[in-house]
Amino acid sequence: MSKKQTAEAVRAQKRDENDPAFGYRALPGIADEMLDTHGNVRPVWQHLLSTIGHMDETELANRFARADRYLRDAGVFYRAYGTKENSERSWPLSHVPVLIDDVEWQAVSKGLVQRAELLERIVADIYGSNRLVAEGFLPPSLVAGNPEFLRPMVGVLPADGHFLHFCSFEIGRGPDGNWWVLSDRTEAPSGAGFALENRVATTRAFSDLYAETHVHRLAGFFGAFRDTLQSRKKHPDDRIAVLTPGVANETYFEHAYIARYLGFMLLEGEDLTVIDGRVMVRTVAGLKPVGVLWRRLDAAFADPLELNQRSQIGTPGMVEALRSGSVSIVNSLGSGIVETRAFLAFLPKICRRLLGEDQILPSIATWWCGQQPERDQVAGNIEKMVIGPAYSTRPFFDDNDRSVLGSTLRDNAKVSVSDWLQTDGPKLVGQEVVTLSTTPAWVNGKLTPRPMSLRVYVARTRDGWQVMPGGFARIGSRADAAAIAMQAGGSAADVWIVSQKPVEQMTLLPAEESFIRIMPGSLPSRAADNLFWLGRYIERAEGALRILRAWHGRFAETANTQMPLLKDITDYLAGLDIDTRQAVPESLVTNINSALFSASNIRDRFSADGWLALNDLAKTARKFQSTVQAGDDATHAMTILLRKLAGFAGLVHENMYRFTGWRFLSIGRYLERGLHMTRLLGHMSGEDAPDGAYDMLLEIGDSVMTHRRRYNVNTAALTVTDLLALDPLNPRSILYQLNEIKTEVEQLPNAFSNGQMSPFYREAMRLHAGLAVMTPEAMNALVYNRLEQELGRFSDILAQTYLG
Amino acid sequence: MLYDINLRITYTYEVPVSGGRHVVRVLPVSLQDRQRLVAGTVTCTPTPEERRDSGDFFGNPSTSILFRKQHEKLVIRMQARVQLEPQPLTADFSPDLAAFPAEIGDVWSLDADSPHHFLGASPRLPEDTAIASYAQAIAKPGMTIRQIATAICDQIHKDFTYDPKATTVDTTPREAFKLKRGVCQDFTHVMITALRSLGIPAGYVSGFLRTIPPPGKERLEGADAMHAWVRFWCGSTTGWMELDPTNNIAAGLDHIVVGHGRDYSDVAPVIGVLKSYGSHKTEQAVDVIPLQ
Repeated sequence: MSKKQTAEAVRAQKRDENDPAFGYRALPGIADEMLDTHGNVRPVWQHLLSTIGHMDETELANRFARADRYLRDAGVFYRAYGTKENSERSWPLSHVPVLIDDVEWQAVSKGLVQRAELLERIVADIYGSNRLVAEGFLPPSLVAGNPEFLRPMVGVLPADGHFLHFCSFEIGRGPDGNWWVLSDRTEAPSGAGFALENRVATTRAFSDLYAETHVHRLAGFFGAFRDTLQSRKKHPDDRIAVLTPGVANETYFEHAYIARYLGFMLLEGEDLTVIDGRVMVRTVAGLKPVGVLWRRLDAAFADPLELNQRSQIGTPGMVEALRSGSVSIVNSLGSGIVETRAFLAFLPKICRRLLGEDQILPSIATWWCGQQPERDQVAGNIEKMVIGPAYSTRPFFDDNDRSVLGSTLRDNAKVSVSDWLQTDGPKLVGQEVVTLSTTPAWVNGKLTPRPMSLRVYVARTRDGWQVMPGGFARIGSRADAAAIAMQAGGSAADVWIVSQKPVEQMTLLPAEESFIRIMPGSLPSRAADNLFWLGRYIERAEGALRILRAWHGRFAETANTQMPLLKDITDYLAGLDIDTRQAVPESLVTNINSALFSASNIRDRFSADGWLALNDLAKTARKFQSTVQAGDDATHAMTILLRKLAGFAGLVHENMYRFTGWRFLSIGRYLERGLHMTRLLGHMSGEDAPDGAYDMLLEIGDSVMTHRRRYNVNTAALTVTDLLALDPLNPRSILYQLNEIKTEVEQLPNAFSNGQMSPFYREAMRLHAGLAVMTPEAMNALVYNRLEQELGRFSDILAQTYLG
Repeated sequence: MLYDINLRITYTYEVPVSGGRHVVRVLPVSLQDRQRLVAGTVTCTPTPEERRDSGDFFGNPSTSILFRKQHEKLVIRMQARVQLEPQPLTADFSPDLAAFPAEIGDVWSLDADSPHHFLGASPRLPEDTAIASYAQAIAKPGMTIRQIATAICDQIHKDFTYDPKATTVDTTPREAFKLKRGVCQDFTHVMITALRSLGIPAGYVSGFLRTIPPPGKERLEGADAMHAWVRFWCGSTTGWMELDPTNNIAAGLDHIVVGHGRDYSDVAPVIGVLKSYGSHKTEQAVDVIPLQ
């Protein structure tokens, strides 16, 4: 302990002479992370406690606010099940970290490594020689009836020989102070990314404390795992990707975060195809091989052909590719079977059989009720039991609706419990209820003991299994352990593994840029598609906003919708499905929501700022829908929306890396803007154009000032056409858009092959040249109409060439 | 009994498709003391760009094929010669329901034929309380497993009407049970669900049935269809037996086995995934020609 720390501890003693714990008390009969059994503050906690203890409320509140602001700005969220559509919740951080001495942690780590190895051997046996069943160590019904048992994977050896690469465990400390494993996660363990975010957020609140305390860093763990995955590639050209079920998944944010943090692609099943036994990703530069997939998708959904035939998010042929050994998948399909709750009952004997040693870290006591002695044991000790489904993969406190606490059953119900066990025994397990330890959480202005469990992570690296020095603690919202689940209002805290000695410092955070430099041209087609449409929707919204603003400006002056110009525009907008009877038309809001949806599919490619700006635009539009009136009010509202839209566009323009993704976004915008102006001019430039049409066109085209400067005459058909259609320097003119499209297309992959222009690039050139040679006199409704059709076809060719 | 079997499945797509990937299970399987595949081939038109012939978990021959080029029509043909062995009818050695769980529990194996795979729910067959109480009413105390299965088969045959228009390939056993109508797939699914509800391991058999033309009539070419029936496990002494609830008979020399599975999804003749914007039409023609 440093001199400074000692001095503070002394000061703390002085100020609260009789209470080194600053009023914090453990609950009777329950272990506590901060206080030992005698009520003394454990050494690793002393500095943190005395620091917090000496802060006034305002300072603490400010510190916590810093952490929350970080999470909000970073856009950290998780998705809640079964609630209304807009169910992204902000991440519930419990600001006080959980501190664990690294000497104790080393002992826990040893147990975790042994357990990971044990699970690996069990999975290998189940999908291989099946000796555990043959020798009576594992009841066959627990495997055969298990939804996680994937028969097509039997006999398929993983490409690198290993089934498990990344596991997590839910562990808790019992009243005797020892650690227990509550559940195993091998299917697609989540939360590692949230552990990282918890760390960053918590250090925002306690940057000084973090610097003064020897906390083990998390980056080394992720770095080692990343390097290991890199080394599993069989060809240098192979991609590594995080395979996500998509935006609808509750932990999608984390998938995107991990992919970005480690520099891997973020892919969905639809991005992949299997050719000659190889998994390939569809990119804008063609099919590219994938060597390693870090799967966050439930295994059964990975292949609709051989696994769950109802899956809409898988890749047909994935199992075939795994059979051919061309791709490594983390973890292997079917490895979720060892998460099964009932397996906990058999692990001690299996451990001795497979590893020849006892389990270092025990599981909570578990009895599978498929056999009579076990049923008797459970029924006889019902007060201390929780009974739940044998195949469940969740710890009991996450499984409230399906697990029953024995102590909550009334006496007459206990009789029927025996009957229940008798009839449904093989489907049930009994587990001894563990009272979890408490850790201090900041509740109503003071430190309060709350039950907690730890989620910890183990990864296979080139040097064997490595344990993440940390993880995240799940903190209950009430004193009972059942309140830990985040869906029930629990929260998450960072876990600091504290050393007596200084620890190695490293970070992986700037890895993003190098990702783009390493793998140019591998933009997945689906991402390009979403970027292209994001560009189109945003621009479509802008076009509609500009016309609507002009409409309401004139309506505010005349209040007469039958005025020829207004009537004309009303008809024009009706053709675009925009109803001017609504001040903020439904289709405009739909448009903005579509942009938001496209963006949500590619959140890993966005800055959090851009995402927030777009969300703000959508939220404002929805709000205006119910509050805004036609006329002046609407003009004002459209101006606000246009400003917000420009804010988003500006953020993207200023911050997005100028690479392939950017080009698709840009082409989408230019194309839509070109279409908008072509349609509008086609509609309004005829000889029968109503009074004021040209002025309105200039207003919509944001070109009033330019027109005045350039032509020095009143608005007339020819000058307006010249400025809005053919002027190569006016950023709103059609020709300008076509020129920009041509420039972007030239930079796309495969624009040239063997020095020849691709058909698509040729089309872009032809479009541009065709308009560049036109004179204002030659522009008429027919020409605009043809151009509109050509632009539509151009969009189709783009989709066929790059997005298919 | 020796048979020549011809099968032709034709898919006609309204809009040309490409990138279709399929798994085909139409070739009869060789089963010890039951049937032997003398010779057999599966061919596709157009010729797939990728093709792999293998066996699945349950030992059924399966062919996976991939088409990259656009096509409007896909024809899958199977030709096989199969030798069937008569099944001697043994005495009933099956236990009763009370002794059955222990007998199942004594099978410490997860081989393809292990009864453990055929208990509980499977992808197409969730547990169903209505069918369970139907089965419960048939199974009387003291009956052997074989007697129970035979009685359920008989009862389904009595209660259900064969009606190809009533159901589709996606009809659930619950719906078919409510309608009391359907085809071989529905009869089979309902009977499997009923047996499993009593704890009797039961599975799906896909195959061909020889149809005997009415007296004085010629056998019509292509008039046969693929068929389905039930296999159930009746203890370690006897092992698996087969019953055909559509015809209320034990499967014998007229039943040629293509594959075993937990339900239809394990042995569907063609499982396919393709991106298509239009609908498609399927035609199936089967000839089962007895040679001896």
